[in-house]
Amino acid sequence: MSLYLPIAEMSVSVPVFLLLGAAVGFLSGLFGVGGGFLMTPLLTFLGIPPAVAVATCNAHVVASSVSGAVVHYRRNNVDVKMALVMLLAGFAGTAIGVEVVRLLRKAGLFELTVSLTYVTFLGVVGTLTLIEGINSWRRVQTAGVSSRRKSGQHSWVDRLPFKMRFQRSKLYISVVPPMVIGMFIGFMSAIMGIGGGFIYIPAMIYILRMPTSVVVGTSLFQIVFVAAFATLLHAWQNQTVDIVLAAILLAGGVVGAQFGTAAGEKLRGDHMQILLGVLVLVVAARMGYDLVAMPNELFSLGSLKGS
Amino acid sequence: MRLRACVILFGFMSFASAGVARDTQESVEADASTRQVAITSSFTGTEILLFGTVENSVQPSPEAGTYDIVAVVEGVDAPAVVRKKSRVVGLWINTSSMRFMPVPSYYAIVSTRPVDEIADPKILDANGIGFDHIRMLPAHSAWNASPDPAELASFRKALVHLKEQERLYVKSEFGVSFIGRSLFRATVALPPNVPVGPLTASVYLFKEGKLLGQYKSRVMLQREGMERFIHEFALTKSFFYGLLTVIMAAGAGLAAAFAFPRAA
Repeated sequence: MSLYLPIAEMSVSVPVFLLLGAAVGFLSGLFGVGGGFLMTPLLTFLGIPPAVAVATCNAHVVASSVSGAVVHYRRNNVDVKMALVMLLAGFAGTAIGVEVVRLLRKAGLFELTVSLTYVTFLGVVGTLTLIEGINSWRRVQTAGVSSRRKSGQHSWVDRLPFKMRFQRSKLYISVVPPMVIGMFIGFMSAIMGIGGGFIYIPAMIYILRMPTSVVVGTSLFQIVFVAAFATLLHAWQNQTVDIVLAAILLAGGVVGAQFGTAAGEKLRGDHMQILLGVLVLVVAARMGYDLVAMPNELFSLGSLKGS
Repeated sequence: MRLRACVILFGFMSFASAGVARDTQESVEADASTRQVAITSSFTGTEILLFGTVENSVQPSPEAGTYDIVAVVEGVDAPAVVRKKSRVVGLWINTSSMRFMPVPSYYAIVSTRPVDEIADPKILDANGIGFDHIRMLPAHSAWNASPDPAELASFRKALVHLKEQERLYVKSEFGVSFIGRSLFRATVALPPNVPVGPLTASVYLFKEGKLLGQYKSRVMLQREGMERFIHEFALTKSFFYGLLTVIMAAGAGLAAAFAFPRAA
């Protein structure tokens, strides 16, 4: 069964894209990431023009993160206050990022910067997540119980001014670190064109020291807004959002996200970190390989829409 | 059935040619089987039949090869950018690129034999017949003033090759067949990813390397129904289109969350 896409201007097989949506949606619900970093390369691989792939995967991210976030919200696993603080700073970061993108393009360094930051970022975050996951898994193996967040521990984060109380996360910390993190992620998402879920999660766990149970829901909640904003912007400025493709992907995505969230409930925190770390590293390795290996096609056709 | 039709045509043609002087100049008349191709949600590509006759044919039999026919179907012209990767400190990144003046977005060529055997490169260049002869000029700009000819040739070759991989540039070197002394036919496949817009079908008649005549016709290729509505909506009311997409996505997410109470 195939359907012609009005914006991508090509015919696609509906079951394949439903399945793709469901698979990425499952991972999104499971790990609390948007899944854009998986969806975009997969869509391009299946022949969707890159500009359309980048823009349309955001709509899928909106759907699967709403689907997952609602479940977490019902379970009281979303720190709305923390999310709003990070989001506000995030929009400022995105605005700066868009300007930096313009300057990099002008200097002809955009392509290199994106490839390098992508690989470096995915690599570093993936490695850190994996190491931390393995460490806490070891602790569980030896102690028998998962060692919780050391609540008495003081770090440089606690010495910063402008403290605010985040009831849901049981934190009384300065607003500076969440704002800096939010701004940084907003900046990165403008440059790399992704929601940044895989950065939110480790940042909230290791820098803000939020309880793991709240992290996934809060991350999804933020991603909803970031992705909705990106979808709107792409549709408005570039006309590259394909609503038919989006509908197919998100129909699979929302169902996948429900099962992913349910599966996430049964998954232990340390196992989840190890799996997410491995997933991120695999994507990083794939991209790194593309950068280093001799491509079998040196030439490529530039897209006329977008970049 | 088809055999009988040919026999009748044979008779007709020989009768017609007997009526005019032997030295009368040959010419070509042709048309496409479809003048209008609708792109709807079920479009998965289509095939166009091109057919025509050689007026005043002196060809003794369909297999004689007295005439060469070349048919070219072209999509709307669009500017193109080709990028080239090279190795920089161990990394393969796009380092150079070339912009071209508008080139055919789609180009299908069918002929009775390879075009370079049919006519002189000069004639082929003048009419844009054959992959090596399509008009492709570099777009001049401040940073792309006058490209090196060798570099231009390599980028040009790459552009054709990439378009071939996308199945947007297709050729069939023996795709035109005579089914009578003067009647010929050929089919051209329009892939599912053919750029939407009017197509031009040109049919050229050659004899001993000389261009004797040509005939052009147009095939409309346009969106219809839902495809047309969505495309126009996306282009003219982009903001609301984006908003609708977001609402659809969020709505689907909410619906799923409530349809699966207690998350499965």
